[in-house]
Parts: sequence; structure tokens; C-alpha cells
Amino acid sequence: MSEEIVEHGDKERMIRGFGAMVLARTLNNKIMTAQRQGRVGFFTPTSGQEAAQIGLSMHLRKEDIIYQYYRDMPMMLHMGVPVDIIINQIYGNSMDIAKGRQMPSHLLARDYNFMSVPSPVATNLPLAVGTAYANRYLKKDGIVVASFGDGSSSTPDFHAAMNLAAVYNLPVIFFCENNGLAISLPTEKQTKVEIWKKAEAYGMPGILVNGSDMVDTYEKTREMVEYVRSGKGPVLIEARCPRMGPHSTSDDPTKYLTDIVKEGSDRDPLIISQKRLVEMGVITEQIASKIREDSQNFITSKFDELEKIPPPSPETLFEDVYEEPTWIIDEERGEIIGRN
Amino acid sequence: MVQSLNRTLDMKMGEDSNIILLGEDIGKDGGVFRVTEGLQAKYGEDRVIDTPLVELGIVGMAIGMSMNGLKPIPEIQFQDFIFTAFDQIVNQMAKMRYRSGGTITVPLVLRTPYGGGIRGGLYHSQSGESYFVHTSGLKVVTPSNPYDAKGLLSSSLDSKDPVIFLEPKRLYRSGKMEVPDEDYRIPLGKAKLLHEGDSVSIITYGSMVPAVLKTVTDNSLDADVLDLRTLSPMDRDSIIASARKTGRVVIVHEAPRTLGMGAEISALISESSIEYLYAPILRVTGPDVPFPYRLEDLYLPNSSRILSAVNRVLQFR
Repeated sequence: MSEEIVEHGDKERMIRGFGAMVLARTLNNKIMTAQRQGRVGFFTPTSGQEAAQIGLSMHLRKEDIIYQYYRDMPMMLHMGVPVDIIINQIYGNSMDIAKGRQMPSHLLARDYNFMSVPSPVATNLPLAVGTAYANRYLKKDGIVVASFGDGSSSTPDFHAAMNLAAVYNLPVIFFCENNGLAISLPTEKQTKVEIWKKAEAYGMPGILVNGSDMVDTYEKTREMVEYVRSGKGPVLIEARCPRMGPHSTSDDPTKYLTDIVKEGSDRDPLIISQKRLVEMGVITEQIASKIREDSQNFITSKFDELEKIPPPSPETLFEDVYEEPTWIIDEERGEIIGRN
Repeated sequence: MVQSLNRTLDMKMGEDSNIILLGEDIGKDGGVFRVTEGLQAKYGEDRVIDTPLVELGIVGMAIGMSMNGLKPIPEIQFQDFIFTAFDQIVNQMAKMRYRSGGTITVPLVLRTPYGGGIRGGLYHSQSGESYFVHTSGLKVVTPSNPYDAKGLLSSSLDSKDPVIFLEPKRLYRSGKMEVPDEDYRIPLGKAKLLHEGDSVSIITYGSMVPAVLKTVTDNSLDADVLDLRTLSPMDRDSIIASARKTGRVVIVHEAPRTLGMGAEISALISESSIEYLYAPILRVTGPDVPFPYRLEDLYLPNSSRILSAVNRVLQFR
């Protein structure tokens, strides 16, 4: 299978995927450090989930619509969302698309078909179903991807979305990135049944993939993506990708996480994927090193450059609530920042 | 009002193939109140969708549709059942424009019958307008007659912001009036002065409008009767103009008193016009108890309670 990938001209795609993994890890580490230095308010690390996301997104096209969740920065980078969009959101500065209104990690890039991330988990899943309905009704190309963590599988929104997508046979990929923990709760205390097996109860195919291996995820998800693209209906993919750090910069994982995947260890998806690609002859160790070095330099300079952008102006507090501000909002703006 | 809403939906669906209706029993059955009667037969199952029993799914799907080019009109069968979808309404629908910096909008009209008067007990009678008015990012509209129902529904469909369209179910089959066939609009955010007088302002909306008007005419009251029609944003100018003219204000609504619309209207008038007032602002509302089955008539504000409040403000010195 791996040889086939190389033969079928997937080599470029593999290199790009690996490049995005490295870029995402570099950015993740940079943000985590900056948060400790007090330069960034908050972050939900994405390390450990790069291979799962990019293994899937290598099958996606630009017309596909993604309802990502708050750890999907790697997939966004891979799908071509500029680093600037992400860093500006992390800083919440005046160049941020959402005008600094959301906590860091709640990324958005409508122009790249990445929708907006809410904090209440799984609440985007029913939206993905509606968007898929619209796609089919309007005869638009493209499928819809809705990603979420293992904790989301307990929510009513997950149930509603899975059921509705199946009832209407809609082109949705439900993509569960199971990192083993919902903040502190292990998956086995979240649900009695493996998440991918829930697909059957709703009437759709479900699979489990090794989300720590980009190549494995890519190969195993191909058929599922084709199934959805051909109009046969929704699928559920569970990718196992153990957490490498805290839930967010606000918690202490040592209280609940003993078996942490260490960066650079042989369980790190970056190392696993790199080894696979070297074995397959897609890249060499030298190329991998070069990619890491380039990413480091690129991210460092971008991060420092964008830090200089000022915060959003006070007026933005009152914008975008409605198409036109109501008299109430106008009045409150006047009280708080003075009349224009 | 049912017929007016049905015809308006029919007209709008005929004009715009991107309008999609979704809800429980709205297709074959035509809705439990028959508002969508005949529309599925005419426009097909793809446009008038009978959904599974899942309010948060109905609302969530509608949001996702509106983000991708459609104009959905979800129906929640009774407003009492909306609360499992409350997260979708408050955290998704209402905040999408804001949290996306204006790059994603949610133009949709969520229709739902509300209020008492049909012997519906605790779970087929509630008036929850305050929950939605309290949430910025939503517009909240409620018609009180068939003519307004058409004009307000049409304007709601023009809106680029999500609209919670509250239909007073008690008035679904009362108050017959001529509704023109042609297209017309009643602008959102504009109240209507239904009766003019100089002595007292009675501010009301939705299901209480007929009761207030009857009280005024039966007792020949020299009263302004203001029908708000839009609850969010309220028509500040009309409220203030009437309050300043009469100096005596009574607010009437079916919803419980605490943090109801009356509290907000009263605060608005106090903040802007206290020097014009001759009497305290009084509220005639449903009590702060759950909505009852057998004692429904006792719960609902009636003419005698309205009249008694009017007399109190008129006689205040």
C-alpha cells in the first residue's frame, strides 16, 4: 500500500503533509512558550493530533467545508490557511478576522472554508449537517467535515447530528480525534462503547484509525472520504491520537495524566510519521531536518512580527452584533467610549 | 392569523427557492396548528422537511443551512420545547456574526407558537420572550393580528440577522381581518399606536393586544394603546413619546413579571422621562408561577386587572 502511494504520485502530497505537521508543531511550541512568557493569553495545544488531522485532510479539496474544533490548527495550516491568520487570532489583535473577540485557539477562516469554533463542544455538529443539506440542495460540490474530541461523543449535539445526517443521507464526515481525555476524564469513563462503533447504531459506516501515523490515517480514510463524496451518506472516523500535553494552558495535566507522550519519543506522531516516510523513500532524514529548521525560522520571525500589531479599536466592541447597530448598542457605545 | 402566515409562507416560498421549512409534523400533517398546511404537497419533501424529534437538531441544522446559502424557517412546535435548543440559539445563532467578525451570518426566521389560552398547562403555554430579548444578536418579533403577521414575517425574511418569530397561539384562529394579497412590509423595530388617548399609555404586544383594546373600548378609556410588534429592538421613540404625552403608563403582558418586558420598558421610561411622569409605572402580567392547566383563566391578565391598574395610575396623587 505504501509503495502504491509513492507510485501513484502521492509523494508530493506526503511531503506537503509532513511539512504541515512540522509547521504546526513548531507553531504550537512557540505559542506554548509565548503563553508561559505572558505574551499570549491562552492556548489549547495541538501537539499529538497533527498526523490524524493531516492524514484525513490530504483527501480534502478546497470546496469542502470544515467545521473544525479548537485543536485543528494543523489541519488548517495544511489546507493552506496562512500562518498570519492563525497568529493574529492567537494574539487577538486588530488584524484578527474575529477582531480579538474569542479566546485563542477558536480559529476561523471563512475564505478557506473553515468555519468558526464555539467553546461549547459538539455544538457545531448539527450545523455541519445543515450545511451539508444546503450543499446537496444547491447542487454545490464538496463535502462537509465535522471534527470533535472524544468528550463530544457524550453530548446531545453529537447524537442529534449523527442521527440527522444519517436520516437525510448527507455528505458529512464525522471525525473524532480521540486523544484519550476530555480535559481530565479518560475515554473509558466517557463512554462504554468505542466511539467508532456508535456509527452502526445510527446507520452509517465507522472506522478506527491510528491517528499517530499520518500515512496510516491517510490510507485508511481514503475509502471513507470516497464513500461520502460519492453521495452514499455520512461516515464516522475515530482517530486515536494520545495527548502530549495539557488540555489547555490553564490546567495541570500531572493531576490526571501519567502516561504522557513525550515530544521526540517513538510515540510522537511526528517521529512515527517521519520514520514511515523515510522508510517509504518519500523523504530523507536530511530533508526532515531541513523542514524543521525552516519552520523554526519562519515561525519565529512571523510570531515576533505580528506581535507588534495593536489590539482592536474600542469601536469594534460594538460592531457585528447585528447588520446595523440597534439604538441600544449605539447608546451604550456612546456611554462607554463617547459619541463619534 | 394561521391563514395569513400560511399564505405568506406560500408566497415567499414561491418567490425564493432557497427558503426551506423544517420542523416536527410540519409536512404531511401541516403542523399541529396547520400553519404549514399544504406546503409540503406543493413544494416537496426537500423544502418542507419533517424532522425527527430533536429541537436542537432542527435549530442547529437551520443555522448550518443559513451559513451556506439557504433561508431556513425552522419551526419549534411549542415555544415550551425550545429549551434543548437554547444553547444553539444563544451560543451559535446569536453570536455567529460577532464571533466571525461579520464574515459569517445567520439569516433565518425561527417560528414558534407561544403563550396560553388553549388549556395547554405547563408545557404548551409559556411566554419565554425575555430569554431571547436578553440575548444580543437576535431580533424578536410578535404579531398581534393577521395583517401584521404577514408584514412582519416578510420583513423578518428580509433581515440579515436571525429572527425569533413568536406567534401568539391564542390568536391563531381569532381576529378575522382582510389581508391584502400583494406583498407588503411592516418594518421591524416599529410599534403601532392602535388607540389614541391623552390620559394613560398602555403598552402591550402579542396575545394581550385584543384584551387591552377591548378593555379600552368597553370602558371608553382615554388611552394610548401601543402594540410593540418587535420586542427586540424595541421602538424606543414610540414608547417615550407616548409616556411623555400621558405621563401615566401601564404595561401588560402574559409572561411572568420578574425580568419580563415590563421591567425593561419601565426602566427605559424611568431613565429617559421620569420628569414627565405623574404616577408610578405599573405592570399587569402573568404571576411568577408556572403556567397552570385548570386555573389558566386566573393566570392570564384580564380586563378587570388591566382596568384596575389603569385606575390606579389615573387616580395616583
